[in-house]
Amino acid sequence: MHADVFQTLADPTRRRIVEALLTGEQAVNDLVERVSIHQSGVSRHLRILHDAGFVQMRPKGAQRLYSLRAEPFRELDEWVTAYRKLWEARLDRFGEELEKRQRARAAKRKEGSS
Amino acid sequence: MIKHPRGMTAENRRRIRLERTYQAPIEDVWELWTTKAGIESWWGPGGFRVVVKSIDVRPGGKLEYVMEAVDPEQIAFMKQSGMPTAHDATLTYVEVVAPTRLAYVHAADFIPGVEVYDVSHVIEIAETADGVRMTLTFDAMHDEHWTNMAKAGWEQELDKLGRALTT
Repeated sequence: MHADVFQTLADPTRRRIVEALLTGEQAVNDLVERVSIHQSGVSRHLRILHDAGFVQMRPKGAQRLYSLRAEPFRELDEWVTAYRKLWEARLDRFGEELEKRQRARAAKRKEGSS
Repeated sequence: MIKHPRGMTAENRRRIRLERTYQAPIEDVWELWTTKAGIESWWGPGGFRVVVKSIDVRPGGKLEYVMEAVDPEQIAFMKQSGMPTAHDATLTYVEVVAPTRLAYVHAADFIPGVEVYDVSHVIEIAETADGVRMTLTFDAMHDEHWTNMAKAGWEQELDKLGRALTT
């Protein structure tokens, strides 16, 4: 897992390009239209996405067709699963600690009243 | 072309939302998040002890702590893998609204095989008829809003430092 998986998707324009590619392989021109930014911008972001392993390109005649690759998304899923697990365990302990505090308080009250 | 399950967009793949309801006073919940003793009581993952070195709960303020392996198996595993058995961590508070809202940026750095990077965390606490509801939202990708808030926090700190130095 590399930090740049997240850094790559931290950019909202790149996220829009990824969203646009979810429907399938697309040529740069189609992406320019769907993401509605200038072609040079789309090309720059596609290059970054390509270098980070998010997209692949295949030439078709004069066109360059871009599509998504599965690996970085799998890494994201793995990270999300691991981080969620870590926090679920933490929240269990959080709940236990809250109970402990209440029990201690109740014991103190009892002590005080007897 | 990869088939993506419905709804599994890049947007919600990176975001985690957890919700719990506790039967406890809201002040206790806030204390567990914002005091040295409170954090030390639950923060460390199983087999780890957390010692808070400094805590400054306000926007731009920091929490510094040491996380130390205490479980013998954990220690053996970490030594074997060449990892230090204790390490320092710092998080930076972005929003502090007692006792209902806390937001901070923290490097998610102790999942084996995962490089360090910043994750934004938002904790929302609300009193409901069923108890105190606590909602945590983690986002591994900062959008501009977060970056700006974190920056604003830093700038406040720098202003203060500047004032302290000139007086």
